[in-house]
Amino acid sequence: MTAVVETRALTVRYSGATALDGVDLTVHDHEMVALIGANGAGKSTLVKALSGLLRPDSGTITVSGRLAQVPEGREMFGDLTVDDNLRLGGWRNGRGGRDTTGVYELLPELAGIRTRRAGALSGGQQQMVAIGRALMARPDILVIDELSLGLAPLIVTTLVGHLRALNTDRGLAVLLIEQNARLALDLCDRAYVLEAGRIALHGRAAALARDPRVAAAYLGGHIEVTS
Amino acid sequence: MRRRLPAVLLLAVLTLLPPLLPERHLATFVLLALAATVTVGVSLLMGYAGQVSLGQASFYAIGAYAAGLLAVHGVPPLLGLLAAPVIAAVAATLLGAPLLRLRGHHLAFATLAVQLILLSLLAQADWAGGAIGLQGIPRFSIGGFELREDLGYAYAAGFVLMIAVLIARNVIESRAGRGMRAAATSETAAAASGVAIGGYRLAVFALSAAFAGLAGGVYAFYLGYLAPGSFPVLLSIEFVVMAVVGGLGTIAGPLVGASVIVLLVQALNTLGTQPGMPGYAPAVLSYAVYAIVLIVCVLYLPKGLVPPIRDRLSVRPATPAPDHV
Amino acid sequence: MSDLIGYLVTGLGIGAGFALVASGLVAIYRVTRVVNFAQGAFAVLAAMLAASLLGAGVPHGLAELGGVTLGALTGLIVGAVAIGRPGTSPGTSLIVTLGLGVLAYAVEILIWGDQPRSYPGVPGVADLAGARLQAHYLLIIAVTAPVFALMAWFFTRTDLGRALSACASNRYAAQVVGIDVRRMGLLAFTIGGALGGLAGVLTTPVQQVTFDSDVALIVNGFAAAVLGGLTRPVIALAGGLLLGVAQTLAAGYGGGAYQVEVALVLMLTVMIVQAARTGPVAETAR
Repeated sequence: MTAVVETRALTVRYSGATALDGVDLTVHDHEMVALIGANGAGKSTLVKALSGLLRPDSGTITVSGRLAQVPEGREMFGDLTVDDNLRLGGWRNGRGGRDTTGVYELLPELAGIRTRRAGALSGGQQQMVAIGRALMARPDILVIDELSLGLAPLIVTTLVGHLRALNTDRGLAVLLIEQNARLALDLCDRAYVLEAGRIALHGRAAALARDPRVAAAYLGGHIEVTS
Repeated sequence: MRRRLPAVLLLAVLTLLPPLLPERHLATFVLLALAATVTVGVSLLMGYAGQVSLGQASFYAIGAYAAGLLAVHGVPPLLGLLAAPVIAAVAATLLGAPLLRLRGHHLAFATLAVQLILLSLLAQADWAGGAIGLQGIPRFSIGGFELREDLGYAYAAGFVLMIAVLIARNVIESRAGRGMRAAATSETAAAASGVAIGGYRLAVFALSAAFAGLAGGVYAFYLGYLAPGSFPVLLSIEFVVMAVVGGLGTIAGPLVGASVIVLLVQALNTLGTQPGMPGYAPAVLSYAVYAIVLIVCVLYLPKGLVPPIRDRLSVRPATPAPDHV
Repeated sequence: MSDLIGYLVTGLGIGAGFALVASGLVAIYRVTRVVNFAQGAFAVLAAMLAASLLGAGVPHGLAELGGVTLGALTGLIVGAVAIGRPGTSPGTSLIVTLGLGVLAYAVEILIWGDQPRSYPGVPGVADLAGARLQAHYLLIIAVTAPVFALMAWFFTRTDLGRALSACASNRYAAQVVGIDVRRMGLLAFTIGGALGGLAGVLTTPVQQVTFDSDVALIVNGFAAAVLGGLTRPVIALAGGLLLGVAQTLAAGYGGGAYQVEVALVLMLTVMIVQAARTGPVAETAR
């Protein structure tokens, strides 16, 4: 097992306040890893740092292979069609890497809405476009910031099914940042718990799900938080 | 009292400097003091109401034409001069009521449009001299005493500037002033704390127009001749440059900004009119100065000249400057 | 009747120029959120260079192309100064472009002097359904129409155009997929410069150009663009044509007076109505 993403002592500060404090996190290839934590624990900061949108103040980030991000809030190009959204996902690959047919095979639901404006789609459809757009980058690891937030259970099940298939059939590694801890721990092999910018706990997902501290803080009568 | 020191200093400069200046520099002094008076208003508008006006020269023109037209029709000059700021403020209130719903670049273009409309209307208005201009404005006089020399106008301009500075300082230090500062920094926060932003903003707009109108009145009597061409859009831009260069939201800012720009342009003008220089040199140099000073200032010195200097001298500011342009 | 047709076609020709300036403003604003005050300067510089090249014996077509190229190049330079420094807010960039517009005055007077310039365009008078008008207006329309078609194709059918639209639509998402938004901003400024330049070289034969012609151009362009909230090129086109026709009609039937006021009053009305409808215009120029 080789690491696709590895952070060592990663620290990020926003005008004095420390958002991430010495985070060590590893995702190996073919692995699904969950990152859970409360609002403001530093999850989104970690995503931005991993995607290179934010420069860490200290520590290292090593990404071997290609990383693609499914951003929180899905961040559609609302005025553009679904197909254009997908094509732009392949921007980094140059002209040859912008053929969208492969993504329509992986996510057949998108084929029927390829000419629709992305801004006019339902939340679930947008999340699928966001995943498809990230897949266009031909990633080795997909970083998903909030998969289930604000979505109906049925569509979440569909999305989870797609992720499982991508992981088993194509060996895609996944780092899933998720407020719904139960969902994340069920789906993933390993998990990290982020609290106030630090890794408070990490280990096998199944073991963490049984950990009383996790159960009390994140699983006990889970309340859907839609911010 | 330290708070009064700058005002006393300014008064001393405005009183003692003019007699020491050679005749040919008195004109510069008059125009500088008038420009500074307008800029005090622009700085108040930008720093304390958070709005950019690219049409401040309109109110300068309205004041000048008001005073000039009244004087031409036999109204005593003093009455004309007093009417100038009032008419400019009334015009600003009428225009501001609809226009101040706009923000940012929309307001910038709206004020620019107002000035272009005014210039076009003035050029077509025969009763105001049309495009040729309004001629034969008498010199300023009070009760038979006529202001003939440049020195007199230097004192008049200085007096007008002093009035603008004192009013601006009182406004800034008032409760309303603090409310406006809050509005300039964050409209939502100000609204949440119950500040009547719309009313304050309109009041500042009218006040800044009154300053411009008053300066325009003096200008009319000083020159004795007005034309639409005396108030180009570029003049409005110059006022913005002076305000930005000095530093918004300070009292000293507009004075420093106007002085730096006017003196710099004057120096380059002298250089540009040296024998051997091409005829276009003064225009090229002055445009280049306005442009480069403005660009360098907003990019590298966003608070203007005054706040950094003041911080270096570690004089405690009477009012902290707002943090944005 | 034939008067009316003449005014309409002339108005469309003038309006096409406004539309080109407006679409340049829109191209830049969409991607960078900067209202480019130097937009009129692109037209003036391009027209001045074209006039010089024609005067030096360069044939038509090539001379105008030279002007448009200078417009594009100037656009790139203006963009680099206005948005080149990371962290420059759109409001600051607006003031910077204002400064650059004034700097253009200095350059223009230095090189070309302060006298109005013009050059001959398509010679002669065209007869259109009984209306007689300067043939050059037809050329302006004939060039502008395909330019707009080309832009529509570029922005929706090419990957580079899609990337520009993506920056306009969602800046953050554009960064996420790896688009360099700053570089796209510079590209937008270059396109805006070329469009402004095209407006300048096309309209100079019927409207002579002076160093400070940019004020009228930018105001009319902004008036046309603001109809579509500065983000919709098609409405900017329609707005430009409308303004051109309205001004020509006002000039034709109103005896030449109050022509300038038409565009300005229309612009003020549109902005005030828009602001009243949407509440205080969101602070787009922070």
